[in-house]
Amino acid sequence: MVISPAFRARFSEAALAYCLLLPSLVFLAAFTYWPIVRSIYFSFHDVMLGSDKIFFLGLENYERLWTDKLFWKSLGNTVFYTLITIPCAIACALLLAVALDSKLRGMTFYRSAFFYPVMIPSVAAGMVWVFLYAPGYGPINSALAALGLPKVEWLYDARWALPAIMFMSIWKYSGYFMLILLAALQLVPRDLYEAAKLDGVSAWHRLIHITIPLISPTLYFVVIIGLLHSYQIFDYVYVMTQGGPADATNVLTFYIYQNGFQYQDIGYASTLANILLLFVGGLIGLIALVFGRRVHYLGH
Amino acid sequence: MAEVVLQGVSKSYAGRPTVHAVDLAIADKEFMVLVGPSGCGKSTTLRMIAGLEDITSGRLLIDGREVTHAEPQKRDIAMVFQSYALYPHMTAYRNMAFGLLKTSRLSKEEIDQRIREAAEILHITHLLDRKPNALSGGERQRVAIGRALVRQPKVFLFDEPLSNLDAKLRTHMRGELKRLHKELGLTVIYVTHDQIEAMTLGTRVAILSQGRLQQVGAPMDLYMRPANTFVATFIGSPEMSLLRCALKPNGEGSLVHHAAFDTRVPERLEASEILLGVRPEEVIVGAADAPAMARGVVERTELIGSEALAEIRLGEDRIVARTPVMSAPPAGAEVGLNFDMARVRLFDAATGSAMPRL
Repeated sequence: MVISPAFRARFSEAALAYCLLLPSLVFLAAFTYWPIVRSIYFSFHDVMLGSDKIFFLGLENYERLWTDKLFWKSLGNTVFYTLITIPCAIACALLLAVALDSKLRGMTFYRSAFFYPVMIPSVAAGMVWVFLYAPGYGPINSALAALGLPKVEWLYDARWALPAIMFMSIWKYSGYFMLILLAALQLVPRDLYEAAKLDGVSAWHRLIHITIPLISPTLYFVVIIGLLHSYQIFDYVYVMTQGGPADATNVLTFYIYQNGFQYQDIGYASTLANILLLFVGGLIGLIALVFGRRVHYLGH
Repeated sequence: MAEVVLQGVSKSYAGRPTVHAVDLAIADKEFMVLVGPSGCGKSTTLRMIAGLEDITSGRLLIDGREVTHAEPQKRDIAMVFQSYALYPHMTAYRNMAFGLLKTSRLSKEEIDQRIREAAEILHITHLLDRKPNALSGGERQRVAIGRALVRQPKVFLFDEPLSNLDAKLRTHMRGELKRLHKELGLTVIYVTHDQIEAMTLGTRVAILSQGRLQQVGAPMDLYMRPANTFVATFIGSPEMSLLRCALKPNGEGSLVHHAAFDTRVPERLEASEILLGVRPEEVIVGAADAPAMARGVVERTELIGSEALAEIRLGEDRIVARTPVMSAPPAGAEVGLNFDMARVRLFDAATGSAMPRL
């Protein structure tokens, strides 16, 4: 068989590409795809942590979900957390980015200051906020008392615990999103704003009709990243409330952790993880379908 | 009426002056071109008129009303940017409508009518549904002009609007702009670094250099009577040749002495040293043995279509002469030169200012 030089060149180029991809693929397969496959397999079985005995259950774990009130509560908490935290964090980030997108003196300092929360490890940030929310000596309650307002048991009151974590998450996410949006804002040509200014278009209309459409690809990216982050919220809950009080802050990932590592029910924990995966995947697919085509790419 | 008056308008950045006390009055329906080399302050001046840059000192009046520190939208002006500044996510129609929809009290029907009329004038009716990325450079330029036209402002500002177009399209758009100005009776302030654009478009031209206004006048006035050596060399292509000469009083007039020639001018001038400004078409090139004011050696000859440009060494100086192609002297040839002395300009060598001629 005669191999043409063109085919040989194309083949060797493809082979090189696969070789370069291989290390990443190995890691992805070992630490992402294989666990997903295992988790799907476990969800049809009764598996206990540390035991090598495994019993086939069929769809029993999935049937159990329907009657598991805590599952529905944790799913509800996760959805509520996401629906409030991500839009609020993106709105804050956008306003911050717009405010910081100027060449005025001191902007580098402000940009660093607002990005600073992102650099604090989640556990450390959680501990700081536990102190800030402390019922007796916490600065937030001291401030409320100084204003003559009643003290709130932030992390110990079922009505306030989840909003308290959400507020802290908005603080933590805003700086991260702000930095990404700021980079996008700086790519918007200045003369578009100047043209709008000369037309007398207000700052609000400039934001709505020029800035947001032109940074829509980045906003879209931030929404997806935000959703992924928020559905994986675990560390703040673990550090600040352990899912309490009365499961008011129990979110899906924490419930998975409880089932898998506290109750040692790997089968059911895997079932929950699969549901989370399907839920997030479906949601992102839906967003891509609805908003993906409305995104305007500069220069295209 | 849409008169624009700049009274001692200056601009400084961090204490460093970039525009120095510009005094300029632009009459109603005038096409005023601000021209000068890069960094001369012409765009800054235009942006100060637009309100996109603060005026450090001085006053700006539009239509008799002081607008020195007024917001851009309160000046009743429209601007066409070098980059066109079209909103890339909007169609041409929406680009033209956007400002009016958000700021005017016009009904949608009135806005639509204005857009259709402007599109008709600019021949872009068939492009209204397209987004900027589906338009050519010239079409984008028309949409940008259309966006300014529908506002029906008192003054139109153009910031190097043709620099992103190729040479052929630029010539065509120059004609279009001239037509629009004439047909619609617009008051235009137009910034360019291209002297040909300035000369062909402007009713009057203001020349800036290093933030200072050098001269304002009709294009041919600037060409024929430049106020100083900067204007003399900036306007005209190839530029005016300047020959350094000594000057001595001689009867009623003055004697001009150059290393390569001596001549006389009828004016009695006070300076001891002058620059003799000669445009290429004012140099008459003849044979080496023919009677001539001076003799020089041709260094190179460039053919530019129907004419040729000859660079001729004259003592320590070089002078450019425009000649018919058929009689263009070859490089290395010795030639006799005569100057059209009635038209040459004289500049004070110390100040660069033009000296009065009879």
